[in-house]
Amino acid sequence: MKLPHDSMQGTLLAGTALTLVLYLVVRTLV
Amino acid sequence: MDMAFVDHLMRWFHLIFALVWVGHNYASFVQHPRYKPFNEETSEQARTAALEVRMQREHGTFRYASIVVWCSGMGMLWYRGWLADALTLNGAHAVIGMGAWIGTLMMLNLWLIMWPHQKKVLGFEPAPLEERVRCSRITFLASRTNTILSIPLLFFMAAGGHGLQLFM
Repeated sequence: MKLPHDSMQGTLLAGTALTLVLYLVVRTLV
Repeated sequence: MDMAFVDHLMRWFHLIFALVWVGHNYASFVQHPRYKPFNEETSEQARTAALEVRMQREHGTFRYASIVVWCSGMGMLWYRGWLADALTLNGAHAVIGMGAWIGTLMMLNLWLIMWPHQKKVLGFEPAPLEERVRCSRITFLASRTNTILSIPLLFFMAAGGHGLQLFM
């Protein structure tokens, strides 16, 4: 199975997407 | 020595050792953008006693750097009296708390998932070829997981100090 980790772009994209999701989560907590 | 100075030392150490640890991860990310299974032929040909010593030092350095980073981070939160609120993601401390949790995951990933497998890939612990190939995949994914996690971690760390208005 190919994972985001398997390419440089995928890794950076996964990190950015995760940042956005967690930002929205934390914003509801603050 | 007053506690404010100790707090500053912790901040300083936190930054230096985070650079050592995550800088190592980024170097690996740039050098190996894609997964290549462990190859006994090329790997064992290049292996020398000097290389082994260098690899041991390199891996030990960033592994122990992660502990300094974690302890200094938790220490700073404790000194401010924010530790409980940060770890329970309570109110404004949820911002740095999310950073602390991601950092904790990264350290656990490094010590409990990456390192036990990496030892076999690098030959620090004897293992049959098949096992070394399997471990090289796990090590690669664990390492890149930390690369991915470092991106939101740095966002929350920077936001905790300088960008709280983003969350209001």
